Amino acid sequence: MSMSLTITNLVKKFGGLTATNDLSFTIEAGQSVGLIGPNGAGKTTVFSQVMGEHRQTSGSIKLGSEEISSLSTPARIRRGVSRTYQVPRPFSDMTVAENIRVGLMPDSVLGMILKGANTDRELELALSVGFSEDDLERTPAELSMGDLRKLEMARTMATDPKVMLLDEVFAGLTVAEIAMISDLVQKMRADGMTFLIVSHDLKALEPLVDTAIAINYGSMIAEGSYGDVMASDAVRASYLGEA
Amino acid sequence: MGLRWYHFAAWAAFVGFMFLLPEMVSKGTLRIIIFANFLAVFAISWDVLSGRTGYVSFGHPFLIGIGAYTTAILTKRFDVPVEISIPIAVFVTMIGGLIVVLPALRIKGSYFALITLAYMELIYQLVQVVRPDLTGGTRGMSGLPTLTRGAVNGYYMSLTLMVIVAFGVWLVMRTRIGTALSAIGMNEEAVKGSGLSVTRLKLFAFLLSAMIAGLGGAFYVHYLGSIAPRALFDINFVFTIIVAALIGGASTTIGPIIGAFFLTFLLEYLRPYLPGAERYFIYGGVALLLYMYQPKGIYEIIQQGWARVRART
Ligand SMILES: Nc1ncnc2c1ncn2[C@@H]1O[C@H](COP(=O)(O)OP(=O)(O)O)[C@@H](O)[C@H]1O
Ligand SMILES: [Mg+2]
Repeated sequence: MSMSLTITNLVKKFGGLTATNDLSFTIEAGQSVGLIGPNGAGKTTVFSQVMGEHRQTSGSIKLGSEEISSLSTPARIRRGVSRTYQVPRPFSDMTVAENIRVGLMPDSVLGMILKGANTDRELELALSVGFSEDDLERTPAELSMGDLRKLEMARTMATDPKVMLLDEVFAGLTVAEIAMISDLVQKMRADGMTFLIVSHDLKALEPLVDTAIAINYGSMIAEGSYGDVMASDAVRASYLGEA
Repeated sequence: MGLRWYHFAAWAAFVGFMFLLPEMVSKGTLRIIIFANFLAVFAISWDVLSGRTGYVSFGHPFLIGIGAYTTAILTKRFDVPVEISIPIAVFVTMIGGLIVVLPALRIKGSYFALITLAYMELIYQLVQVVRPDLTGGTRGMSGLPTLTRGAVNGYYMSLTLMVIVAFGVWLVMRTRIGTALSAIGMNEEAVKGSGLSVTRLKLFAFLLSAMIAGLGGAFYVHYLGSIAPRALFDINFVFTIIVAALIGGASTTIGPIIGAFFLTFLLEYLRPYLPGAERYFIYGGVALLLYMYQPKGIYEIIQQGWARVRART
């Protein structure tokens, strides 16, 4: 059920800028890892390479034992990896239910036409991220930033991932919402989900991860237990540099 | 999904009313409605492709023309019966749909629109230059077999075609595929990020759109009995199709029908006052005003009005 994610010698160059610099790490199945680093360190770029939204310049990405780095994004999602986005991107003219519905669809035209929507599962996913039943008919224009993140989360969960990449999940959320999403992540961890989590809210991140990886300028600068990583000189220097 | 008895009741009432219409209106009005029916078919076809997925085609007559010319050439030059030539025309138009989908795999927005416009110009030039013995060149063709005789029969033929197309598209678009195609129009990246192959979805939309365009184009020439490249591959025709879909209500099936009827009658009623192309200015203005008032179109205005009436009672 659980799945591991292995990145080996990953390099991504944007012209002259090296956004990912020979990065290697493994997240064992069912483990949760925090990915930290100052703004522009290259965290999101790692996500977009794992998802195939950006092709790596070189290196390998394995989901379980399968190399996925040449597959299309939808194919990778079918294999079991999915992500949320730093800037939520809902389908603006659709209701919450319809947004989740898109995530639940099979990748087959005939399947979409012949089988109806699974409204029970839509409701279940909406409730699990903290929406109420009344929220199902609301549209993104009526939602707060927190709600948009919850929607993003629900649509990502709808694709039935084994490995989830969460990008700045707590940004713009109220304390209550942070607690809610944290509970949800903890529940999924207990069910064996593998996580890679980016968050600027380190206090909220700490309890959600088994270990942490710190990067700066695309290179790994520390790896290990959350406490050790935060205490490392390189990490302190990189964050001081930012402030 | 979400089919209710009153949906079918509304369709039945609409079809019943339309079938009784020849008892109530003049032959002249029927002839106008025939054009509205065909325009509705073309607008629905455009909407399946452009209204839903957001890939705006400025060259829809490219597809309509392939269907129209295929059946015209087959019947006129090779004496193929229409029962055979029309299915062939639809098939060939779907191949044309593949040609339109190619740029849509890489290019978005105004560039895609420009390429489709170029397709229309290209076929316009081609039919005049390449094998004019087949296409009839600049003058086109006349004396093609017609399917019906008289306004009433023509009306029923065009109505049947329009209703079958509209009801079929309405049914298909109510399923999850309709949701998925609209999602492409809203955020293509997020559709990919939901695990769906957008290439496959676009292919479906373009092929369905081409099938309808081919059907409409083929039936249209066998209603008119003639084909003229100047009228078919015409930017005014493009705008009439697009405006019909937009002011009626893009990304819906009923909207393009409403828009097609509205536009056809508007143009017709302006004819006595403005016999020339100035009419298009007026309709452009009316369309713009409507569009500014409610970008989602007349169908949305009707639905909101209906909701208000229901809230009051
Ligand atoms: N599509 C892109 N083209 C060029 N440069 C990019 C692109 N995406 C990100 N970058 C650059 O790569 C670096 C890493 O960005 P990003 O991964 O978004 O950082 P983070 O998520 O850690 O804040 C930044 O310098 C950013 O400007
Ligand atoms: Mg980022």
